[in-house]
Amino acid sequence: MSGMYIHSASAFTGESNTDINFLKNELSRYTPENFRRVNKFILLSLLGARQCIHQRTLEADTAVYLTTEHGNLGETADVLDEIYAARSLPKPFGFINTMSSTAAFYLARNLGIRGRNITVSSQHLSFERGLELLKVDFAGGTERSALIGGVDEASLSRTALEKKADRGWRMVDGSGWLYIKPEKEGACGAFTEIRSFRDGHSCMNWISKREISPMDVISFGALIDDSEAAALREALRPAAEFDYLRDYGYSGSATACGVSLFVMLFHKKTLLHINRDQRGNYAVMELKRY
Amino acid sequence: MKRRAFITGKAMICSLGDSLEEIVDAVRHKRIRLEHIPFDLARLSYTKPYYLINSNERDKLDNRSEEYFYDVLFSAVSRALLDAGLNSAEIKDMHVFFGSTSMDVPVFEGNHRKTSATVSGMFLQSSYGYGKIAGAIVEKFGIGGNCYSFATACTSSANAFLYAAAMIEERHIERALVVGYDLFNNLGFYGFEALKSIAASEYRPFDRTRDGLILGEACGAVVLEGGRRKAGDFMHLGGANICDTYSVASHDEEGSAVAETMNRALRQAEINPEEIYAVKAHATGTENNDRTECAAMRVTFGNNLPPVTCIKPFIGHTVGACGVNELILFTESVKAGFIPSTPGFREVDEELNLTPLTENREAGEGVFMLNYFGFGGNCTTLILSNKDNKG
Repeated sequence: MSGMYIHSASAFTGESNTDINFLKNELSRYTPENFRRVNKFILLSLLGARQCIHQRTLEADTAVYLTTEHGNLGETADVLDEIYAARSLPKPFGFINTMSSTAAFYLARNLGIRGRNITVSSQHLSFERGLELLKVDFAGGTERSALIGGVDEASLSRTALEKKADRGWRMVDGSGWLYIKPEKEGACGAFTEIRSFRDGHSCMNWISKREISPMDVISFGALIDDSEAAALREALRPAAEFDYLRDYGYSGSATACGVSLFVMLFHKKTLLHINRDQRGNYAVMELKRY
Repeated sequence: MKRRAFITGKAMICSLGDSLEEIVDAVRHKRIRLEHIPFDLARLSYTKPYYLINSNERDKLDNRSEEYFYDVLFSAVSRALLDAGLNSAEIKDMHVFFGSTSMDVPVFEGNHRKTSATVSGMFLQSSYGYGKIAGAIVEKFGIGGNCYSFATACTSSANAFLYAAAMIEERHIERALVVGYDLFNNLGFYGFEALKSIAASEYRPFDRTRDGLILGEACGAVVLEGGRRKAGDFMHLGGANICDTYSVASHDEEGSAVAETMNRALRQAEINPEEIYAVKAHATGTENNDRTECAAMRVTFGNNLPPVTCIKPFIGHTVGACGVNELILFTESVKAGFIPSTPGFREVDEELNLTPLTENREAGEGVFMLNYFGFGGNCTTLILSNKDNKG
């Protein structure tokens, strides 16, 4: 795999009722810009990414890959209420901000970067699919540095309700980000595998045939159920498991937060993260923390 | 080693119809179907034009439902797969790249008519997220690959196309289905009216008297593969996407970011500006877009501007779906031997000093530039060719 080196990481998880003013105050620790006409989704994106970058200077061509399950769910609902309940035309900036790509725009503008700017989603595997886009851009030489993140508001969406009912996780706002470059120098970790499988059997087959390399920690995405997790533990026999969903809560972008938290919390360890979607497509990421 | 990505199958549904022959014939003869829709919900007493799919009783806005939404989608996809001549193993092998601005908002708005629940309540509690529609496609057609749903406003399906092509070129995948789909929804119709962006009666991009955009709805699907199936299949030569950080709602009128996007796409395609046979402009007909785009074309092409055409006067601004739908309409017209004219254009704007094609122009083989821009500063350019010897 061509180099995907992690140069910094951050994860912000907030309680579901996190106030916009709290987010603005937090954000003011990282940037003097006063953001007006922005909503919670945009602020979450800015806060997570600014925490990731902190005092680094980015190249002007740095790309942004914003992955999300639900995007601007809250503001979209508000604008629908303006039209259907208040029976009026929506506020112009409210309407513009229903387009979730505005979050990646505000981030690019705040950071002074104008590389690729992509907002992408894929049910339950949004972060993994975003990494695949980044991988193809690095492989083709289109991009030389990138911020990739997963952002979702805590929501009462159908998916979230079903998951919460199933597993008892608390619902959080989530914004997890990684700064990635193809160069190793200065990196704190690296993705060594990003793979997709069309079913659990091929995933398990790859895992069982995989060359035994030191693998310390495993973690599972939200749709890996208890019996599957048990089978994977048995096959992999890891030294530890990082249950970020139990410890830090669930959002549509929990995977991005989980991977970022691993980079922040575990040093000199290797993580294998296994995830799946509702169709039974699997995605595996392996990353080494230096 | 890199290879090219070829468009081997296409289908679309729009205000002009649902067969490519019918649509291209309408474009050739400048036949346009424009409806007027009132703003009843906001108790406003006027109407605004819209390019509506409206060929039978089921298409009427009041009759639309979730079933209708997916019928339109599945119809376009199944015909694109058929057009490419894919067998079931090849279909199973595909990956889906989907682009839209409104995603499944029309479903919630349609369901609202049958229940007392609020639209926002249904949306908040029933949404399966942006990936739902691509998920429905793979389930319906037995596609086994990955799904990527792009939400980059009006460049959504252009970016979906850009990445599908890149993944084929880098040999990450063998074939892709790229879909651009936006159906009428009040969120968009009332939203653009709130921005005062909707024209009063006629679409006139680049015209001195232009007064805004006219929205439209469409579903387009293309199949992309690593090899040509038929003579004349278009190939992707290159493309680019960058962010113009000037403003969330408009682009820098000097056109520097837009020109940079065009130039990056040309460099990636290894094409000089003078090799471009024609440009499909984004041409929303808004003051800012047309000014920016003209400035950018001057930066990129200097005084040797190739013929410029605007597709939106035929099918409307189909927002996130315009990437794929304008690509289909443009390439099918070229395949039929002409570059479409720009209906509605009458008077040169001296500030822009640009006259798009006002009559169809004969076309054969060539290299073409397709431009797309959107809210959030998103700029995307695609370079396509139907030359046999390039690739």
